[in-house]
Amino acid sequence: MNADQTSSAGSSAPRADPPPALQPPNTRQTLRNLWRVIVELWWRFFDWLAIVSWKTLLIVYGLSLILAAMLHRPNTFFLFVVISAIIKVVAGGKRRAELVAHQATQRADTEQLERTVLEARMQALQAQIEPHFLFNTLGSIDQLIQTDPPRASKMQQSLIRYLRSAMPQMRDGSRPTLGQQVDLSTAFLEIMAMRMEERLQYEVNVPEGLKSAIFPSMMLQTLVENAIKHGLEPRATGGKMEIGAEIADGQLAVHVLDNGLGFAPKSDGGVGLANIRERLKVLYQGRAELIISVPPTGGTLATIKVPYEVAPATA
Amino acid sequence: MHAKPVPTAVVVDDERLMREQIVGRLKEAWPELVIVGEAANGREAVAMVHSLEPDIVFLDINMPEMDGIKTAQALAGQAHLVFVTAYDQYAIRAFEQGAIDYILKPVEPERVALTCKRLRERLQQKPDSVDHLLDELSQRLGSEGLKPREYMRWVQASVGANIRMIPTSEILFFRAEDKYTRVQTQGFEALIRTPIKDLIEALDPKEFWQIHRSTLVRVDAVAQVSRNFSGKQVVHLKGSDEKLEVSRSFNHLFKQM
Repeated sequence: MNADQTSSAGSSAPRADPPPALQPPNTRQTLRNLWRVIVELWWRFFDWLAIVSWKTLLIVYGLSLILAAMLHRPNTFFLFVVISAIIKVVAGGKRRAELVAHQATQRADTEQLERTVLEARMQALQAQIEPHFLFNTLGSIDQLIQTDPPRASKMQQSLIRYLRSAMPQMRDGSRPTLGQQVDLSTAFLEIMAMRMEERLQYEVNVPEGLKSAIFPSMMLQTLVENAIKHGLEPRATGGKMEIGAEIADGQLAVHVLDNGLGFAPKSDGGVGLANIRERLKVLYQGRAELIISVPPTGGTLATIKVPYEVAPATA
Repeated sequence: MHAKPVPTAVVVDDERLMREQIVGRLKEAWPELVIVGEAANGREAVAMVHSLEPDIVFLDINMPEMDGIKTAQALAGQAHLVFVTAYDQYAIRAFEQGAIDYILKPVEPERVALTCKRLRERLQQKPDSVDHLLDELSQRLGSEGLKPREYMRWVQASVGANIRMIPTSEILFFRAEDKYTRVQTQGFEALIRTPIKDLIEALDPKEFWQIHRSTLVRVDAVAQVSRNFSGKQVVHLKGSDEKLEVSRSFNHLFKQM
């Protein structure tokens, strides 16, 4: 701590003045070294003064007084006391400011860390795959193996793609992109379309250029699952769904539109939507929102708006 | 109930592949069983059972229009029921205690064979009355009917050219203004035509309090209550500078603890 303090104070110290140029080279070298040692000692003394308690300082003063009395140098003693007391006051202020700054940084770091941990935990929670979906899909694959093996294989590949992208990608620590999220939901929709047959039609209209944009994990998937579960599946005739994305006013707006049953004002919207709202609050502090609206065509339009950021290109 | 010479069954599932699978497995396990019909939802199933009078109905639980539990309630006593489900831990526990059999998806041949064996033994009897069991099931699965009263959780309001669904948890207060009711959230306001008195009926009284003839406030949005110069209570809100007056008849709401 002390050594660290010294080096940081030393580096901020003014550079030593160049010694007189007339000295012979070897003497100049010695003088320069000597000057460095003095500067170094001065800053150590300065830091020591800043940190030391007034009580210790008073004891030091007492010892100096005895030393001064022994050496008969009372003036030097008084000069030392006055100068060191002034430095103590000034350095103490600097030190306090440093401590406050350090604490503030630490607090910011803790908050950042808490946010990251929370995000990771929620991601893991979100990535829990609906058992209904998994078992029903496996059942469909099982049936297709007997009746239509090529389709069974296609469905299985979609399932693998879905499971792979649904696993939380916490290892590399990179932030999820819209492209990854769209891939996940597309794999899911491929499977659902094979299972629901003519009852589900879907379209994905996400421009290639937006796929590198940062977009939080599993939010799009929650909207897609909601649209199927509450909008299309409960209707015997099913319906259509569209995923789209665009930039408007510097914000990335991702929407899921369906022409299904529409929103029941009494339904509590499930845990899913509340979860998205909560996560958006934590991740973007009010700069993102989830809007549920009723399109003129009926059904439900869910839009998530987040600040537009592009993921850094990975080497 | 007279015993028919040939046992018959109806298979109900909203996914064709699943119906095919169940039908296929049944053919292997019980060749004499005749599948007289397949239905894709509960409503179709009820109509089919009425016209075809099968001995057995294989019923999916998650279905559009009318779920498996409600369908079973409508069919109680008319046929032997077997539920087919992908995953429902509570439901399975309930089945295990009761007279209703169940099959898990993906359908395993051995399990179907066991179910068929049980059905063959039971076919001579009248189908059990399983009302109490279905009631219990519907409770466990959170179906309608036995739930406590549901309150409005979303307000549908025009914001600009759009109709938005605003979750009640985002609303700070409702206030009557001329012919309309103003819905205020932290970010925006919207007007709706529903009068305050209808909102009082529809909203959860634990979530929203009436504090004035024309004002409903969300309890969780109240930051503090103070008194103004004329001695009236004034509600301060979290996330808004607007202050709401409390009329005398609602003063008791904010009595000191």
